[in-house]
Amino acid sequence: MSEPSVGREPLIRLEHVSRRYVRGVDEVHALEDCSLEVSQGRFAAFMGPSGSGKSTLLNLVSGIDRPSDGRVFVSGQLLNELDEDELAAWRARHVGLIFQFFNLIPVLSARDNVALPLLLSDLSRAERTRRAEIALRVVGLEHRVDHSPRTLSGGEQQRVAIARALVSDPDLIVADEPTGDLDAKNAEATLDLLRQLKEEFGKTVVMVTHDPRALRFVDQVFHLDKGLLLEGEEARRAHDALALAAGGPVRAREV
Amino acid sequence: MGFVGLVWANLLRNPLRSLLTAGAVALAVLLVCILLTMPAGLDALISRIASNTRISVVNEAGLVYTMPYAYARKIRALPGVEDAMAQMWFGGAFEEEGRVTFPNFAVEADRVETVFPDWNIAPEGMADFRRYRDGAIVGRETMKKYGWKIGDRITLRSTIWPVALDLRIVAEIPSDRAPVLWLNRDYLEQTLEAMGRKLGIAGIIWVKVRDPKDVNSVMLRIEELTKNSDAETSTQTEKSFFSSFFGSLEGFVTILMTVTVLVSLCIVFIAGNTASMAVRERAGEIAVLKAIGFPRRVIFSMLVAETLLLASLAGAAGVGLAYALTTALREVAAGSAQLGPLGGFIVTRGVVIEGLVLSLAIGALAGFVPAFGAARRPVAETLREIF
Repeated sequence: MSEPSVGREPLIRLEHVSRRYVRGVDEVHALEDCSLEVSQGRFAAFMGPSGSGKSTLLNLVSGIDRPSDGRVFVSGQLLNELDEDELAAWRARHVGLIFQFFNLIPVLSARDNVALPLLLSDLSRAERTRRAEIALRVVGLEHRVDHSPRTLSGGEQQRVAIARALVSDPDLIVADEPTGDLDAKNAEATLDLLRQLKEEFGKTVVMVTHDPRALRFVDQVFHLDKGLLLEGEEARRAHDALALAAGGPVRAREV
Repeated sequence: MGFVGLVWANLLRNPLRSLLTAGAVALAVLLVCILLTMPAGLDALISRIASNTRISVVNEAGLVYTMPYAYARKIRALPGVEDAMAQMWFGGAFEEEGRVTFPNFAVEADRVETVFPDWNIAPEGMADFRRYRDGAIVGRETMKKYGWKIGDRITLRSTIWPVALDLRIVAEIPSDRAPVLWLNRDYLEQTLEAMGRKLGIAGIIWVKVRDPKDVNSVMLRIEELTKNSDAETSTQTEKSFFSSFFGSLEGFVTILMTVTVLVSLCIVFIAGNTASMAVRERAGEIAVLKAIGFPRRVIFSMLVAETLLLASLAGAAGVGLAYALTTALREVAAGSAQLGPLGGFIVTRGVVIEGLVLSLAIGALAGFVPAFGAARRPVAETLREIF
C-alpha cells in the first residue's frame, strides 16, 4: 500500500459533464451540466434520491461510462479520450470498485476473489496470493481467507469486496451503495473501514449512498436531484435534512 | 489461482449441467468415431473374405439369370486359368420349414480344392466329398446352428428343382466366411436326368487365376469368349464382387455420416444454448469483471475457453469410449467366427484426431456467440440493467 499523501490537487475534475442515454424510445437525461472537483486523499459522497443521477456520476468518475458532453479528468487523465479497452486497462490500474451486493464470484475462495484484479498483472501466483492475504488482513479477515462467499456473512462479504478493491493499490476507491445491503452494525463498520483507507493509506474514496450515517464519516458531500448537482441554498437544505437523520456528529460539509 | 483455475472453477459451478453437456458431446464424438471406422472396416472385411485371384463370372443380365454349363469347360481352357468351378443355386429347404434358411448350392466337387484353396477344408473331408455323390460340405456356423456333425444325414427339398435330396455331411468349412452348404453337382444332375430333365446351366462360375498379374487379361478373355452369345457374361474379382455387394452398405454409411454431421450440429446448438444460459446467469459477475478492468478479449477468451475445455474433455472421453468399444469388439470377434470380420473396425490415429478436432469445433462454435455477446456489451449498460 502507498503511504498517506493528502494533497490539494484535485484527483477528480468534472467540467460541464452531461450524460444522456436512450431507453426504449425515450432519451433519459441522467446527468446535466455537472462540474465538480474532489481532491486527492478525500472521502466524498454523492447523495440524493433514486434517479438523481448519483450512480451515473459514479460510473463517469470510475471510467465505467463516458459522458455525452463535458470532460472527465481523473488522476490527470482525460477519460473521454480512452476507448473501451483503454478504459478497462486504466480502471485496472487506478480504480478499486465496491458494489452494493458485493458481487463476489461464488465458486472462488475469499483469497481468490481478492486476487482477481491481480490476474491482469505480471505478478507471480505466489505474489498475487501474498498481496491478497495482506488486503484481507487490512479488512480484518485474515482468518477467513479460504472461505467461499456463501459461508461469509453480508458484512464479511463486503469486507472481502473492499479488500478486492484495495489489492491493486489504486489511487481511487469507488463504492456504489456499499452499506445498502447491510445491517446498521455492519454498515457502520464498512463506513469506518472506508474512512480508514483514506486516513491510513491516503486513498481517495468516492461513494454513492442513501445512508445519512455516511455524513459522520465522509469529508465532502455532493447532493444531486433529477440529474442536477445541487448548489447554494438547495444543497444546504438537503444537507441539513440528512444531518438531522445522521444520529451523531456530522463531519462532512456540503458542496 | 490463475486463468485456468478460474475457467475450471466456472465449469464446476453447475456440475450436473456440465456433466450432461459433456455427455452429449462425448456421445456425438463416440458416434462419429465409430462411423469413421466403417469404410476402413468394410475394406478389411472384404479383404478378409475375398481373394484377388478368384474371379466370379455371372450372366451380364444379373445374378438371377444363368449361363450354359459349357462355359466352365471353355474357361478352363483359357491361358492363365488354373481351374474353374460351376456353382448353381439349389435353394434347398427342410420339409418342415418350407423356406430356405441357409444358402445352398450344387458345385463341382472335384474343383473345390483348386478354386478355393484358402478355405482350408480338411483333405479327408474333401476326399469324401469327391467320393460320395450325396456328400455335402457345410459352413461352421450352419453346423453350429443346427447342431450337425460329420456323418449326419439331412434331406433338403429344392425350391426351384422338383427334387428332394438326401445328403450326408462329410466336411466342415472351417472358417467364418459364408454359412453355405455345398452339395455335389453330379448328384443333382443325375437325379434330374432320372426324371428326364437336364441341368446344363450354372449361376456363377468361380475362376482361379494362376498369377495375380494375369487377372485382368483373363477377365477380358472370358468376356471376349461369351461376347455376342445368348448369355454374355460379366466378370469381376471376388473382392470387387463383394465390394459391389457391399456398395449399398457404403451408401448407407454415407447416409449415416450425413445424419451424424446433423447430430453434431444439434449438439453445437444444445451446447451453445447451455453456454448462453450460463453466460446469462453470470451477467452480473461478468459485468463486475469488466468493471474491475478485465478487457473484452480476456472475457471472450475465458468464456470460449470454458466451452473448449468442456468439449475437449468430453471429446477425449468419446474417443476413448470408441477405442475401448472397438477394442472390446475385436477381442470378442477374435473368438467368434461369426463376429470375426468386426475386428476390422479400428480407431486409428486419424480417427482419434478427427474426433478431437470435432469436439474442439463443437466447443468453439458453441462458445463463440454467447462469449462474443457478453464481451461486446458495454459495462455501464450491463450494470444499469442488473444492479
